[in-house]
Amino acid sequence: MNLYLATIKLIRVRRWTEKLNFDRRILARQMRTWFPSMFWILLFGYAVWPWMPWQARPPVTVTFYGFSILEESMNGTVFPAFQDTWREASGEHVEFISSFAGSGTVTNQLIMGVPAQLALLSLELDAQRLADKGLVSRESWESLPHGGIVNRTPMVILVRKGNPKNIRDFSDLARPGIRIVHPDPLTSGGAAWAILAEYGAGMRMHPDRPHQAGLETLKGIWRNVVAQAHSARAARMQFENGFGDALITYEQELLWDRMHGRLDFEIVYPHSTILTEHVLVVVRRNIQPDQRNIVNAFVDFLWSDRAQTLFTRTGFRSVNDRINESNPVFGQIADPFTVADLGGWEKAKREIVDHVWKEQVLKELGRGR
Amino acid sequence: MMRGTTGRNISGRNALPLGLLVLVLMPLLLMPIAAVFIFAFRGGPGAFLRALSSQDAQFAFRFSLLIAFATAAINAFVGTFAAYVLSKYRFPGKRSLTIMVNLPVAIPTVVIGTSLLLLWGPIGLLGQMLQPLGLQPMFSPVGVLLAHLVVTFPYMLGTIKPLLDELESTYEEAAYTIGASRWQTFFHIILPALRKGLFTGTLLTFAHSLGEFGATVLVSGNLRLRTQTAPLFIFAQFEAGNIETANAVAAALALLSFVLFFFLFRYTGERVI
Repeated sequence: MNLYLATIKLIRVRRWTEKLNFDRRILARQMRTWFPSMFWILLFGYAVWPWMPWQARPPVTVTFYGFSILEESMNGTVFPAFQDTWREASGEHVEFISSFAGSGTVTNQLIMGVPAQLALLSLELDAQRLADKGLVSRESWESLPHGGIVNRTPMVILVRKGNPKNIRDFSDLARPGIRIVHPDPLTSGGAAWAILAEYGAGMRMHPDRPHQAGLETLKGIWRNVVAQAHSARAARMQFENGFGDALITYEQELLWDRMHGRLDFEIVYPHSTILTEHVLVVVRRNIQPDQRNIVNAFVDFLWSDRAQTLFTRTGFRSVNDRINESNPVFGQIADPFTVADLGGWEKAKREIVDHVWKEQVLKELGRGR
Repeated sequence: MMRGTTGRNISGRNALPLGLLVLVLMPLLLMPIAAVFIFAFRGGPGAFLRALSSQDAQFAFRFSLLIAFATAAINAFVGTFAAYVLSKYRFPGKRSLTIMVNLPVAIPTVVIGTSLLLLWGPIGLLGQMLQPLGLQPMFSPVGVLLAHLVVTFPYMLGTIKPLLDELESTYEEAAYTIGASRWQTFFHIILPALRKGLFTGTLLTFAHSLGEFGATVLVSGNLRLRTQTAPLFIFAQFEAGNIETANAVAAALALLSFVLFFFLFRYTGERVI
């Protein structure tokens, strides 16, 4: 190889690499212009994909509003189970659109006009509010099985590990020196249940002078309330953050946490406590003609053994005692009672929450509002 | 390609203010974002992907993106039109109108949501008239879109109007003198000058729509698989105690915002907002 050929070769290589470099620059520039366009096209494609005409759309939807502690239970077990049942029965796929919030919030949303066909509320009082606003009639829940009550859970006491203050019953909560975290009954359904539980437990302890005993228990407990949270869940948060010696709350929430290994506290079952009852409301005027069958089928399904068993697996107590008996996770309550034993919600709200708690207990403790 | 840097290089003298800035930014900005990513990946990449691929999360993402695309597209038109009218026409009450269309920036988004609800909701002023016709814009995707249009409206206007105000009128006048119509002038003279602004404005609108929470939470009814946007999904999951799921979606949303911001920087010559 002589110098000439070597030079020629070098020049060729140079030209070639230059050309290559030039191409690379063009490529880089094209990349710079193409990359954003590709990005946007892909992003848009991803967004519209499920709505493309070749995607099979679910033909029927059911909109369901529930109060907060139901979320895991409904989304995780009951909806999927019904979807399977319905697919087997009719070959159709049903989609559940759901929303969960505090019972009072759900009620307000329904009054504001959210297009729900079904609502599961934490207390009948909220259903009554819907009836008062003319949204539904009383029959919309009273004509259902068990008067619309889908499931239950008792109000129990949560204490710190090892129960250092030796709390065994509601009466122990009235002892001096106990600090209690309580949700606010003006905003929380769970708190209204808690007040009935406390008052009712007192009543049943002294059947000879029930109202006096109820008032005393309630007063004793409320003397020890150190923090009032706007919802049952917020109260739970405060307790978990180290506030107080005891919290009064739903058994279901605690069982759910225990099943998932997250409960660092101890559950105390009072001798006597209330079983909260959660009411299903069917909002007839939001049901389209083509949804009627499926909504009815789902309503029936909620009281089937299948759904009731699923509820017990997520910590709720079934309305069917036979199903509860086979379940070892539930604690024993010697003397459970319901709001019917106190004369129904309307009477209980008027006489216990408003008259006794608000006008006597709070006033006497100097917290009247 | 080297770009000339303005300002001094790091030396002993200005290390102090720089250090202070970073020190302030750490707990304010950097650490919270890092925390989201750390929490999102705490359960391992498998749990992260599982959280993202759930039906609810996928829907929330897609719905958020669709709303953002629609909001950006509609407001690109309406915002440009508003900027054009407010910049090129003279009429009485122009100042107050300019202030009014910019109001959504100043009003809390929750208030915008409430006011929409009180106007279009079933008990609202106009909603009551729509109810008998079977129309119900609130608690539906239409309501969410409406809220996002109102909340993000000023961003397009804010980027386009200054450009129009600064645009030399001589070009337009020249176009008119040789017989161009208003439309022709707009398309051939004004629009090309606005290209960058259109791009920035649309992107800003898109990004704000993607993250909008306050108004959406009120008008959407927070319906899973129907009106639940990604931010609402994050909030709902957090409330329900599923912090991992919430963080996975939050991390993905943050990542998308980074990409959007990168575009904003990269293709608009770093002159953001």
